[in-house]
Amino acid sequence: MRDFPPTVTAWASPGSAGEPDTRGPGRFLWWLVRQQPDLIVAACLCSLAWMLPTALTPWVFGRAIDEGIVPGDRGQVLLWSAVLLVVTLVGASSGVFYHTVVVRSWLVASYGQTLMVTHKTARLGHVLTRRAPAGEVLSVSGGDGEQFGHFVEIVSRLVGNLVAYLLVAVIVLQISVPLGLVVLLVAPLLVVVSTVLLRPLSAAQTRERSRDSELTTMATDIVAGLRILRGIGGERIFGDNYARQSQRVRSAGVQAGGWAAFVEAVGVLLSGLFVVALLVLGVRAVGRGDLQIGQLVTFLGYAVFLVQPIRVVFEAAQQITRSFVSARKTIGVLGTPDPWPGRPPAELDAGGDLVDEASGLRARPGRLTMVVSAVPDDTAALADRLGRYLPADDTLTTPEDDEATGRAARRARLERETARAELAGRDAERAERPWGVHLGGVDLSRLPLEVVRRTVVVSDTRAHVFAGTLQDAVDPHHRLTREQAEEALHAAAAEDVFDILPGGWQGVLDERGRGLSGGQRQRLVLTRALATDAPVLVLVEPTSAVDAHTEARIAARLPGHRRGRTTVVMTASPLLLHHADEVAFVEDGRVVATGTHDELVASCEGYRRTVLRGEREPASAPVGTGRDGATSPDDGSTWGPAAPAGQQHVIPEHRPEEVTSP
Amino acid sequence: MTLGTGLGADSARTWRDPADRPPPVPEALRPPAPGTVGPRERHRLLWERHRLRRERALTHLRESQDPERGLPVAPPGTVVRYLRGLLRRRAGLVVVVTLANALAAAAGLAVPLLLGRLVDVVVEADGRPGAGVVTDLALLVVGVLVAQAVLTYLAKWLAAVLGQGVLAEAREHVVRAVLRLPLGKVESASTGDLVTRVTRDVGSMSSAVRWALPEFIIGVVTVLLTVVAMVLNSWALAVPTLVTASLSLWQVRRYLQHAPAAYLLEGATYSLINSTLSETVEGARTVEALGLQPERRRAAADDIEVSSQAERYGLVLRNILFVVMDMAFSLPRVITLVVGAVLYARGVVTLGQITAAMLYIETFYGPFDRLVGTIDELQVGIASTTRLLGIAEVPPDRTPGEALPAGRELVGRGLRYAYREGQDVLHGIDLTLRPGERLAVVGPSGSGKSTLGRLLSGIHGPGSGSVTVGGVELVRLPLDALRREVALVTQEHHVFRGSVRDNLVLAREGASDDEVWRALATVDASTWVAALPRGLDTVLGAGNQVLTPAQAQQVALARLILADPHTLVLDEATSLIDPRTARHLEGSMSALLTNRTVVAIAHRLHTAHDADRIAVVQDGRIVELGSHDELMEADGEYAALWRAWTS
Repeated sequence: MRDFPPTVTAWASPGSAGEPDTRGPGRFLWWLVRQQPDLIVAACLCSLAWMLPTALTPWVFGRAIDEGIVPGDRGQVLLWSAVLLVVTLVGASSGVFYHTVVVRSWLVASYGQTLMVTHKTARLGHVLTRRAPAGEVLSVSGGDGEQFGHFVEIVSRLVGNLVAYLLVAVIVLQISVPLGLVVLLVAPLLVVVSTVLLRPLSAAQTRERSRDSELTTMATDIVAGLRILRGIGGERIFGDNYARQSQRVRSAGVQAGGWAAFVEAVGVLLSGLFVVALLVLGVRAVGRGDLQIGQLVTFLGYAVFLVQPIRVVFEAAQQITRSFVSARKTIGVLGTPDPWPGRPPAELDAGGDLVDEASGLRARPGRLTMVVSAVPDDTAALADRLGRYLPADDTLTTPEDDEATGRAARRARLERETARAELAGRDAERAERPWGVHLGGVDLSRLPLEVVRRTVVVSDTRAHVFAGTLQDAVDPHHRLTREQAEEALHAAAAEDVFDILPGGWQGVLDERGRGLSGGQRQRLVLTRALATDAPVLVLVEPTSAVDAHTEARIAARLPGHRRGRTTVVMTASPLLLHHADEVAFVEDGRVVATGTHDELVASCEGYRRTVLRGEREPASAPVGTGRDGATSPDDGSTWGPAAPAGQQHVIPEHRPEEVTSP
Repeated sequence: MTLGTGLGADSARTWRDPADRPPPVPEALRPPAPGTVGPRERHRLLWERHRLRRERALTHLRESQDPERGLPVAPPGTVVRYLRGLLRRRAGLVVVVTLANALAAAAGLAVPLLLGRLVDVVVEADGRPGAGVVTDLALLVVGVLVAQAVLTYLAKWLAAVLGQGVLAEAREHVVRAVLRLPLGKVESASTGDLVTRVTRDVGSMSSAVRWALPEFIIGVVTVLLTVVAMVLNSWALAVPTLVTASLSLWQVRRYLQHAPAAYLLEGATYSLINSTLSETVEGARTVEALGLQPERRRAAADDIEVSSQAERYGLVLRNILFVVMDMAFSLPRVITLVVGAVLYARGVVTLGQITAAMLYIETFYGPFDRLVGTIDELQVGIASTTRLLGIAEVPPDRTPGEALPAGRELVGRGLRYAYREGQDVLHGIDLTLRPGERLAVVGPSGSGKSTLGRLLSGIHGPGSGSVTVGGVELVRLPLDALRREVALVTQEHHVFRGSVRDNLVLAREGASDDEVWRALATVDASTWVAALPRGLDTVLGAGNQVLTPAQAQQVALARLILADPHTLVLDEATSLIDPRTARHLEGSMSALLTNRTVVAIAHRLHTAHDADRIAVVQDGRIVELGSHDELMEADGEYAALWRAWTS
């Protein structure tokens, strides 16, 4: 039988099997069930065994009364007691198996979901984050994964309960047809009635949940901005804001609690009245001689019992509805197509010129080329092109609106799905046509993407530092010798990162490199990029957050470390530019001058203005087009009228850490 | 830091051959391959693994209660005291909730008794009871049912009122405690721990208070009353159930002892899974650029393997409990039937009593099972609440005095500071700021410039020496007063979820709209704010009005204008302004800095060039101090750098 953790092969390697069916939510759920047939069947059988004693006890008990206790037949009492014992033992001992199988089934589904999301994310890389916000991807793994756990669980419970219901139906109809019909028809009716009441309850609960998640966001926000609140002030304002929202959650919670209490009370009343009605009918039947006293007891027992399977049916209906919603969201992530066309395997000759048609940049093999632009966005876009990354300015960003319900939500969802599909179409088109960047005369679009990624490594300001040991951060592929790692660390002047981490290479970095300063993180990223030893390395503003002393050191060490391999650095730092073999100056997206740093300083006015200080041209980019992490070519003064230096913004990001546990 | 030296012996010692990387979980936790060991050995190994998993859970419990870094955890007993205080303030409500629950449960338990009575009536009348008797009984049952329904409604609703009230007060208490955290702690501690506390711990406290607490009350009341009702019905028929139920109690206790550690560990492994995945998603581009796909897939698989072990421990714990409880609560069925038959034959009990006893047995398991579940949840909730109340246990890092500064001169004398015992970052720095001057602090990473900035802005008190403004030590000033003297400005420009007004007046509570608009105008932000749909009332933050980075920077600047300290310490704050909006903001920044003393900790030499004085900090000492021209003339460290920069 299958066990957790599950093995997921989808998207693990090119042409791998085991990908889910993402043609529709129903198909996806069916695929989910087919992933664990043995567990589902076992769970159904266990669930049935578990239901057996509760389903049969009223009947056995009634027979014991009529055939044993009332006539005083000791043999019959013993016989029916023995039957009850067997049924009870089967039920009680199946509990453990049932629980084990259900937990397995649940975890296979929910862990499997996390693994699929991980694999899909790894497969799509930057393409995924263009189409789905990180929060959505995470909730597909966490919240929706949990829904699928519930889903596989409810399937088996539903089957067990339905079979039990049929069994009881046969029993009661055999005892008395009219009373049997009453039992079988009224019980579902009762549940239908209480389900009508469930609607306002679930609306109230939804309101409470959404207010509560807003409250959590506020708390996270307060923590994220705590330095400002404690440094500049505002504790009272934000404390009060939080308290106000907390009270709104409270009132929504009280309201939801009121509805829940009402639903429960109505349930108590209705099922109680049902029993009373049955009792009156039953006593009459006994009076007419149609029913024995033990059979009456049996009916009373079933009147209480039957509510359960029907509850389960409705619970299952709700769960399946929720699972459809989750499946649709999951398809949005797992079903998003990979834009890259298949290409015949080929090798790339890194010994040729790297040429970008759009800007006219030509980086010569084995040389250190630096690119300066007055507009940082231009160099960032250039780096994207050189590395064959889809353009950053065409992404899907509208976040999902959880508050919206009904028609508005459906329309918003449709719009999102359409936008996503359109973007996927544009991406595929961009990926298919000639890319406009050549290496050794070959357009990058003619090669398999893996070959491009292996040959041209781009390390930009968005580079992420992962949690783990320092050794893993510098040498994630375990390909380096210690000496090589030391050399990379040295070339990036990042020895202090080694020094401050207790445990040296085994020292542990927090997620996102939290705990390191912006400069340390940037040098760690540079170390990692240098350690790849890529045939072509593109570095975007590698020292923007580094102080001048250390930058000078990096500038002196970088050329030696990259000697003989093609390197392109986007920067405006004169300390670095000094060491370039060739500098290209970009204006309005085109290379307008090339030469050494000294030559350009001497000959090109725009270059001088950008690299050295002085009055600048009016900024060409309008306010509001900024992108985080962009860097400045201009090292202006903090106090001067000129622009201050831009550095990599180090904004700690916080999100509520969801705990999902079955 | 010296140039060009190697990393020394530490590097060789700590570099690990990738081949001897430890597996995510110890080998001993994996079951043996099928067919390798006999059934007896297999059985022994199963329990061995269970024991190992218990140790892992307990280790995690200890570590989570005593975090190495981060905030403290409240000592035991605090939670109970705190909860008692919360409940005492609602004593009336607590009594009513308990009473309503008890009455509802009592009414519910009367129904089987009445049904049993009816059976007896039918039997006594030999199948033909008088219509009046049946109607009376039926009406009685209906009456009891209506009472039960009303009481259930009241009990549940009041429990929700109580639970929600307690919860709201508790979480507001926690957030107020967060907002009181000492300044030094906020600046130096990682926020991860705090984020976990205000999200996950508040979440599990909330489900404990909202759901488990009322259920617990209901459970206790129902279980007790069921016992009473069973005994009232027939003590002889109640005995089998009571005996087996009490026999199961020792196992329930064992389970309850171990369960919290198990669930805490499960929860922790899920947040590990989530944080690894969120790194994979946020770093998807990096994963792609560096070909880290196999590593990220493995990281996820490892996390899930660790999580699976935690789940297995919980699974076995529950299964042991279930074996005992399932037997203890279902075997009485059979025993009661046999005993009932014997006693009926002797005329001791009636058929009605047997019927009622059987109905009670079927209804006993549910509340008891739920009770065990709620105790579980309560324990996890209590563990979370301990961590939440721990936030309030951080001792204040300053005791404000009475004295108010006379003057604006900021003086640092003999400043030393160590983050870790015995490792001074600053080695006796003397620095006097002239009011109105611009001082640039330059120096390599790790030289202590940022620490110096924090001391000068009163974030940390110096280890020895003093920082005074107008003759009063910064750490002896009340926070409100300190903020009027000096502010530390860092790279962060956080935009809060809240209105534009809230985002600004936090710097000066009670500022009028006029003042807010003036501050916005000073940083050239009044135009776009006026154009927002609801002006100052527009709500900012994710999901609402999103600001561009440039606008966020302007908001940050406007805050400082409102705060109006006479001295600003800018720690790498130059990034506060995006170069593309520089032209737009150049006036605003100088408007902010005009007539203020400014200390700029800078990466960039241009900042230094324009300063009145430059302090070069190296290895925790000021090695050069003077104007640009003076330092160029001195031909030291600064001069060398400057030449490298400009040549």
